[in-house]
Amino acid sequence: MNIARRQLAGLALLLAGLMIMPVAVNAQGSTIDAIKKRGKIQVGFGSFVPWAMRDKQGNWIGFEIDVTSKLAKDMGVEVDLMPTAWDAVIPSLLAGKFDAIFGMTVTDARKEQVDFTEAYSQSGQGVAASKQIASGLKWPEGYNDAKVTFACRRGIAACKVIEERWPKATLRQFDDDAIAFQEVINGNAHAVMSSEPKPTFFTLQNQDKLFRPTTDYVTTGMEGFAIKKGNPETIAYFNDWIANNKDWLKERHNYWFKTRDWAEKVAAN
Amino acid sequence: MVQDAGLGRESGCELIVEGSGQAVIPATLTLMPVGARKYMKPTELRAPPPRPRRGFTRVDTVLAALLAALAGIVLWRLHTDFDYRWNWSAVLPFVFKIDPVSGRLQPNLIASGVMTTLRLAVYGIALSSLIGVAMGLARTSNRLLPRLIGGTYVMLIRNIPPVVFVFIFVYFIASQITPALGISERVQSAGPTTKWLLSILFGDPKQIENFTVGLICLSVFTGAYVTEIVRAGLQSVAKSQIEAGDSLGLTRTDTLRFVVLPQALRNVLPPMAGQFIQLIKDSSLVSLVSIQELSFMAQDVQVATQRVFEVLLFAAAIYFVICFSLSQLFARLERRAADAYR
Repeated sequence: MNIARRQLAGLALLLAGLMIMPVAVNAQGSTIDAIKKRGKIQVGFGSFVPWAMRDKQGNWIGFEIDVTSKLAKDMGVEVDLMPTAWDAVIPSLLAGKFDAIFGMTVTDARKEQVDFTEAYSQSGQGVAASKQIASGLKWPEGYNDAKVTFACRRGIAACKVIEERWPKATLRQFDDDAIAFQEVINGNAHAVMSSEPKPTFFTLQNQDKLFRPTTDYVTTGMEGFAIKKGNPETIAYFNDWIANNKDWLKERHNYWFKTRDWAEKVAAN
Repeated sequence: MVQDAGLGRESGCELIVEGSGQAVIPATLTLMPVGARKYMKPTELRAPPPRPRRGFTRVDTVLAALLAALAGIVLWRLHTDFDYRWNWSAVLPFVFKIDPVSGRLQPNLIASGVMTTLRLAVYGIALSSLIGVAMGLARTSNRLLPRLIGGTYVMLIRNIPPVVFVFIFVYFIASQITPALGISERVQSAGPTTKWLLSILFGDPKQIENFTVGLICLSVFTGAYVTEIVRAGLQSVAKSQIEAGDSLGLTRTDTLRFVVLPQALRNVLPPMAGQFIQLIKDSSLVSLVSIQELSFMAQDVQVATQRVFEVLLFAAAIYFVICFSLSQLFARLERRAADAYR
């Protein structure tokens, strides 16, 4: 009798705990209000050259970091940078680990999970190919062949593009861009696709191994801030900010994407 | 324990008691008909003379030559087919840096990642041991509910892939509970001394909530394996030991504390060492949920420097040093445990 009662009490406690959980989640208002109240904007992002990367001192630099700092300054709040494994960036946003993801390419699949602001940056996917095994192939139709292997970094927009445009080719996905490019340099994959300026820079550094089948963008992507669904005021606020800072954004984008002036700050290659 | 295990179990009246007073050298209690206590050494088993160890035989020489040839082929292929320009100097500044303001040497990304990994390792081992012992006891309990809880816990965790578990735990369980606990807010409002102490114990105060979640995740995951090891250990202790404890008038808890657990834990030191080394390596899994430990930092350095293999090999070397040190520590513990019976 005694034991049974104790066990029942334990079960009841467990159930009570389970019921409290959902309550804790729903206690949230509009994102913009939360940011102002906290005095801090929490931004999730992945390590990605030249969006966000570590300089030699271990500090974050990059286009995204510039945008975040400016936005926070204009809002009169501090920045809380939340480096996040890119695979987990959307689940982390949905779980409330931060307010927004910056510099995310807008895709339909992502739109089902998060809301995007207007695009504040346009990037393009470029391609680099192996001189050793891909120089005889005709771009782009020659690459749609079962013998051809593409490489890309897992989770980025380029992988999707490869699957759609070269359905017969094999796609190999890697955790990191540098490894994807290394596979092509070693002659294990025919071509690699990634956001510019990476294909340009890698080809410059490895001219004996890599070439550009085309210097055009294969596709272009639009990047915006991503936030949790159902937050129109926040979207409107960010859109206003983007519209008011068009020129500044363009100037910063040029600096990070068109020049190599910042290369000194990162480790020497 | 290993040496007199057979005797102890068969005779059924030798009780090994540990604790009070002499923790290291356990005394063997022999139950005398008069009830008098007498301390004596356990009977030594006479082992057969060990087989002499032999040096290199002809077969060994051939095998060694084959292995060397294989290694040579791999190295040659690497040299010819693997086009990579090694540049270790790009990695080293990320281990330690010189602060531009004060000119002092400071830990950079990799060193701080190592610290987080070490913290995960130390706290993880402690926490998973606690969980493991508690659940191991539950699993061998006489009552149904504890047995059910322990069994379900082990069943759930051992049968799903660790990566999936990490995601489920962090996004469906922890992220529902931790905001309610308000760890971040409390840390933020803490005084400077508390903050300093916390930063020593848990690293960057901003990351404490995240770190705690990662730590608990890792411990709960490893705890399931520790549970099974503990259960095996508990069941390896002869029933006669418990009966002897009972007949001495020890309470259940005392029998457990002084008789069963010391023997059980000593028996399972080798698999436990393996599990804890596994824990250190598994700590790289929580980098998936952005705990900034060694693997996570290494990935950042990889992206920044584009030196993939240098960074990976360097991180691997650090993991090796940490894990090897731990296995050495356990080897010492095992020797001490064995010495206690000599």
